[in-house]
Amino acid sequence: MAVVAAAAGWLLRLRAAGAEGHWRRFRGVGLARGFLHPSATVEDAAQRRQVAHFTFQPDPEPREYGQTQKMNLFQSVTSALDNSLAKDPTAVIFGEDVAFGGVFRCTVGLRDKYGKDRVFNTPLCEQGIVGFGIGIAVTGATAIAEIQFADYIFPAFDQIVNEAAKYRYRSGDLFNCGSLTIRSPWGCVGHGALYHSQSPEAFFAHCPGIKGLPLLPRTECSGVITAHGTLNLLGSAEQVPIEPYNIPLSQAEVIQEGSDVTLVAWGTQVHVIREVASMAKEKLGVSCEVIDLRTIIPWDVDTVCKSVIKTGRLLISHEAPLTGGFASEISSTVQEECFLNLEAPISRVCGYDTPFPHIFEPFYIPDKWKCYDALRKMINY
Amino acid sequence: MSLNLSLAQHPHRQQQQFSSLDDKPQFPGASAEFIDKLEFIQPNVISGIPIYRVMDRQGQIINPSEDPHLPKEKVLKLYKSMTLLNTMDRILYESQRQGRISFYMTNYGEEGTHVGSAAALDNTDLVFGQYREAGVLMYRDYPLELFMAQCYGNISDLGKGRQMPVHYGCKERHFVTISSPLATQIPQAVGAAYAAKRANANRVVICYFGEGAASEGDAHAGFNFAATLECPIIFFCRNNGYAISTPTSEQYRGDGIAARGPGYGIMSIRVDGNDVFAVYNATKEARRRAVAENQPFLIEAMTYRIGHHSTSDDSSAYRSVDEVNYWDKQDHPISRLRHYLLSQGWWDEEQEKAWRKQSRKKVMEAFEQAERKPKPNPNLLFSDVYQEMPAQLRKQQESLARHLQTYGEHYPLEHFDK
Repeated sequence: MAVVAAAAGWLLRLRAAGAEGHWRRFRGVGLARGFLHPSATVEDAAQRRQVAHFTFQPDPEPREYGQTQKMNLFQSVTSALDNSLAKDPTAVIFGEDVAFGGVFRCTVGLRDKYGKDRVFNTPLCEQGIVGFGIGIAVTGATAIAEIQFADYIFPAFDQIVNEAAKYRYRSGDLFNCGSLTIRSPWGCVGHGALYHSQSPEAFFAHCPGIKGLPLLPRTECSGVITAHGTLNLLGSAEQVPIEPYNIPLSQAEVIQEGSDVTLVAWGTQVHVIREVASMAKEKLGVSCEVIDLRTIIPWDVDTVCKSVIKTGRLLISHEAPLTGGFASEISSTVQEECFLNLEAPISRVCGYDTPFPHIFEPFYIPDKWKCYDALRKMINY
Repeated sequence: MSLNLSLAQHPHRQQQQFSSLDDKPQFPGASAEFIDKLEFIQPNVISGIPIYRVMDRQGQIINPSEDPHLPKEKVLKLYKSMTLLNTMDRILYESQRQGRISFYMTNYGEEGTHVGSAAALDNTDLVFGQYREAGVLMYRDYPLELFMAQCYGNISDLGKGRQMPVHYGCKERHFVTISSPLATQIPQAVGAAYAAKRANANRVVICYFGEGAASEGDAHAGFNFAATLECPIIFFCRNNGYAISTPTSEQYRGDGIAARGPGYGIMSIRVDGNDVFAVYNATKEARRRAVAENQPFLIEAMTYRIGHHSTSDDSSAYRSVDEVNYWDKQDHPISRLRHYLLSQGWWDEEQEKAWRKQSRKKVMEAFEQAERKPKPNPNLLFSDVYQEMPAQLRKQQESLARHLQTYGEHYPLEHFDK
């Protein structure tokens, strides 16, 4: 089994509420250094034993951002971090085990390149990592904090929710920690069980003052904040622009247009619903519009509603448990905005309301068959 | 004006009587004299708390008065527990490499910390572990079948297949089920100790953690609660030099973990974790006093993590092979105890060969059996979230059952119990 099969990465970008506009994403320079493992091909990924529960489809090469290079997810993250440190002399990266390259290889080579005062290990303490990061950001410097697995973010919950999120508001904009980014891999990996599989986005969606992005499943993986959610972190590679570029925050992407059903997901699950869209076309002659939500907070209500107005049917899917999961927020808003357009109840295909189990993972996850079945029921409603 | 002061009548704290007439400090926060010279206390890290040991690296007793004089049977049990654990580790590590189990963590180099401490406890003393204390369970005769069952997540797993490998638990042997988050067990162990005290249970709680986990906020909470609430607990820190890739020089800047104890008012000691007798003696005495005096003890067992952090780690990325080899060859708890056994005439090469063969055979048998067993029924995905399954969850369970009726061919049902 791929020992470093990674989860979807998820990044919290802490910014003042109201901070607008484009968010700088950086693409890798310096990948020809040779310190990165050669990216595996899609074929290699397919040969891995039962790593992914979906078939990975690489995106077409983006044309609008200049020259591209084949990278897998962790390489894209490294590249983005590399660019961030190159452009911003105040930027520092810290967390557990980042110095040697990180348990997901996202910081390989950066300490050698930028120095030990800029890429460093902290003691083993998530509340400390985030609190420390807030402090750096308060002075105006750029802090990039890593939490090793999203499952371990909870000791830092107080610092994130009570401190970082409220810094600007409570001080009347005298102070803020907008230059803090927290990176953390999330989502299931095939054998992560309770504590290496979680998707905690809903806990943070409920917190005004932070911005949260799941990993982008596609080429826009970039910047300090993103990581692509895929089981085949090492395996699946796509063409990724080399130079830094921006893509707007808080904008969902319609990755496939369709007319009969809207499918919404984020992170790794986007791959799943993409495959479901193919299955629907092939088996049912149904045309699906596939949306990668990209940001949880704030989320792109307009794009989703525009799609649902067109299709009349909405299916949302995430690994996180059903109850109180982010699909419930989307569902609630969409029925408010698009009530008369709906042809069927909104469908949520999610994890069960249990902790994430080890041996039962194949039964737990909202896989393509569960999504397909829910879609079928919606069509026949 | 009436001041309502309660003076602690704690045997361990002398608080001065309040009197406004003396020119002595009256602060409630500290019991100390005045000083009129400005002087910072220099932390002593060059010459830290000394490391208690009984045997030298060749397994010879250094100070005969410290020899625990354990009977032959007990010493052999210590030895066999460590070596059986080592054998099991080798086989299960390999099995992960072969894709048979999903994950594994070895205990190489730290076997002495497990069995030395376990041997000094009563069988009913409650154990809260981190994840690298399988030798405690081994010493308590947890069967190989159950170690394997948990790693395979098969139908015999007491944990019902829910957790990653090495997350053992055993109610019968008073070993609380492991969880992955670090140091979360520390304040929990303290609470359990407090309850044991109230129940007059004559029971100690032992709480294991690594030097990395000791950096977590939960460790601070646990230490402070144990001291202020006077709990019969042994904090057992395995200082093995690394937290994944993070060396101790990046984990702390003080004199390890033992030096923190006094800061909390906790009796503390540092021991050679690769010396089974040193670990045994320290744990034995800590246990006696923790229960008798209702106070916490901190034991920092110095050792070395010979293996990788886990099967997801390749430690050659951050440490030298030479360093690892030193510990494997020159200072290993199993070797040192074997030297002792040999010098006592309680063991020889013949027995060593025979035991190696036998222990390997036992492990392989358990392994093969574990592999053949089915996984638990997928219904067990839904139980034990609460004691009684809520209606909403029952609905979800039913929806999975219906789903499998239609789409079962796409799921590995053949490996699961019907």
